[in-house]
Amino acid sequence: MFRYILSRIVAMAITLFIIVSIAFMVVRLMPGSVYEMGGDLSQTVIDALNAKYHFDEPIIKQYGYFLQNIFLHWDWGTSAKMRPNVPVFEILRDRIPVTLELNLVSLFAALPIGILAGIIAAIRKNTIADHLVSLMVVLFISIPSFVFAAALQYFLGFKAGLFPIIYNVSATGLLKWQSMFMPILALMFDPIARVARYLRAELAETMNSEFMLLAKTKGLTYGQSTVRHGLRNSMVPLMNVIIPMFANVLGGSLVVENIFSVPGMGGLMVDSINASDHMLTVAILVFYSLISLITVLVVDISYGIIDPRVRMGGKK
Amino acid sequence: MKFYEDQKESYDALPKEKFVLVQREERLHDTEFKTKPIGFFKDVMLRFTKNKASVCAAVIILIISFFAIFGPGMNEYRYDEQHTDRINMPPKIPAIAKLNIGLFDGGYLLENRNYDNLSDPSRYPEGSVLEIRNPRLVNGQRTVDVWVDYYKYSGMADDECYWFGSDYLGRDIWTRMWRGARISLTIAIVSVLCNVTIGIIYGSISGYYGGAVDMLMMRITEIINAFPRIVIVTLFIMVAGTGMFSIIMSLVIKDWVSTARMVRSQFYRFKGREYVLAARTLGVKDMALIFRHILPNSIGPVITSAMIAIPTAIFAESFLAYIGLGLQAPEPSIGVMLSQGQKVLLHYPSQVVFPAIIISLLMISFNLFGNGLRDAFDPTLRGTE
Repeated sequence: MFRYILSRIVAMAITLFIIVSIAFMVVRLMPGSVYEMGGDLSQTVIDALNAKYHFDEPIIKQYGYFLQNIFLHWDWGTSAKMRPNVPVFEILRDRIPVTLELNLVSLFAALPIGILAGIIAAIRKNTIADHLVSLMVVLFISIPSFVFAAALQYFLGFKAGLFPIIYNVSATGLLKWQSMFMPILALMFDPIARVARYLRAELAETMNSEFMLLAKTKGLTYGQSTVRHGLRNSMVPLMNVIIPMFANVLGGSLVVENIFSVPGMGGLMVDSINASDHMLTVAILVFYSLISLITVLVVDISYGIIDPRVRMGGKK
Repeated sequence: MKFYEDQKESYDALPKEKFVLVQREERLHDTEFKTKPIGFFKDVMLRFTKNKASVCAAVIILIISFFAIFGPGMNEYRYDEQHTDRINMPPKIPAIAKLNIGLFDGGYLLENRNYDNLSDPSRYPEGSVLEIRNPRLVNGQRTVDVWVDYYKYSGMADDECYWFGSDYLGRDIWTRMWRGARISLTIAIVSVLCNVTIGIIYGSISGYYGGAVDMLMMRITEIINAFPRIVIVTLFIMVAGTGMFSIIMSLVIKDWVSTARMVRSQFYRFKGREYVLAARTLGVKDMALIFRHILPNSIGPVITSAMIAIPTAIFAESFLAYIGLGLQAPEPSIGVMLSQGQKVLLHYPSQVVFPAIIISLLMISFNLFGNGLRDAFDPTLRGTE
């Protein structure tokens, strides 16, 4: 088991290194420099700035400096445009908690609703409740999160005035959650539908298996057999559906954060690309890669724990 | 391409007397089938049409495709034609406006207007005031909200109208939206076609030959799969620039992997079967085995997953438009229109409503259509209905 985890972590580190390299090369090789875009800097100043940040040296050397700074000083470079002269890592440190909070809360709030809907659909299969859940699943999976976000913003925020139209940065406590409500809700629809769809299929299959018949034969009631034997068996693989969903939600939150002006990673990524703030862009891309690689890693390891065939990797 | 070794000549050389008809005297004990045999696709079609929701979805897709092809030519505006004096017009369709149901009548709510000015024809031209709402007294001034016919209010001719309104540059939303739908659909369909083509070829080779080839090819897909989608798409667009081609390529670059894996697993299931062995014994070449004998087994799953991939591609395109990596102006796409409308959502919701409805309908229809196809292609469900 230890060997398996170690091999996955090494593979992940190699992939991350490749992604960082490609991201750095691509972003740095883009034409145009931030300093030339303003137009009001003299050539001497530009040269001095380029020399300071090593922009005048070959790209390979720049990459060397970049890695060296990260490993030795945990220095991800300096933002040039968005917040001039602020270390990139500091900017990320302000933004990452907001995004993670938004995503985790919406995912965990969606879980119970999705699980409940899935169970209802499975045990009341082919009734009106099941059809309603199926309809909900199709709608929630199909309609993009930004359409939901726009609708919520217009109806709940603007027309009904229940929630602030955009995220309130300075609010704390209850007010903060009130302004977080709509972005969270907009991101919840997709996970709800996915969990419900998965659990319905899984539970319906389990309910038909022979051990369920045995459970009923030995005298358990319908409820008892469903909860103790049916549900428990379908819950095990659910985790492996939920974790990859996190990366999915993170993508959706890029747009939703933009719509509600949430000061998270989403808005930052868009702005940094448009402002060609290269070092910031690289760091953000690395952040997204890291999150998605970690989710893959967690799934791999949990598969390994559940299923011994995976961790043995075909060994006899 | 030559699929079979041609041995006709060697058969022709045999003298005719050597051939004897077999089974001529024997009686056949099988009862004759009374029913007509149906082919694979006919069977799929039959079972697909039983699913009402999927048929509905197919019809909606056809309707939207029809408008995407012909919609932009239906009125006199062009998609990039700007009228700076006609910005943010509300939607108006004369035929529906006559019904007086409050939709598409070019109505717009002007808030906090002075009541005394309402009779002034220089401010409110003849017939422009449709309804007076919420009269109240503010600082001794009689104030009302006025629901006006915005077209008459801004002094436009009666026959001039924007069916779905106009945007912040005075461009016709109807024309732009259908052109956008056309572009979004094109991007989605072309990218999915590329995915399927690459995936089938890659997956077939990997699955058929197995061993070291398979091992190497699957490692490559694993590496590609490890790249997060957001990152890979963003990087690609940053390098290749924003354009239709680069958006399509950015969607292809990662998504073909899933098709390839599916095709490969189908090959693993079928390549050991007896009929494949039989064909191989008859001297069928590798190419024929792959494309004629094994690949057709995976046609169902491939078509289904392609259908499911189309809404994903439409979503991805809109997503790119939202984060500012979409098509360049003035070219519209549904995502571009949504993200532009988002900026004026609170004042002119109609600019978001129409593209939002279209993209939602498209996504729902393709998902339902794909679900229906999956059930129709699934041989285990055959005869259960």
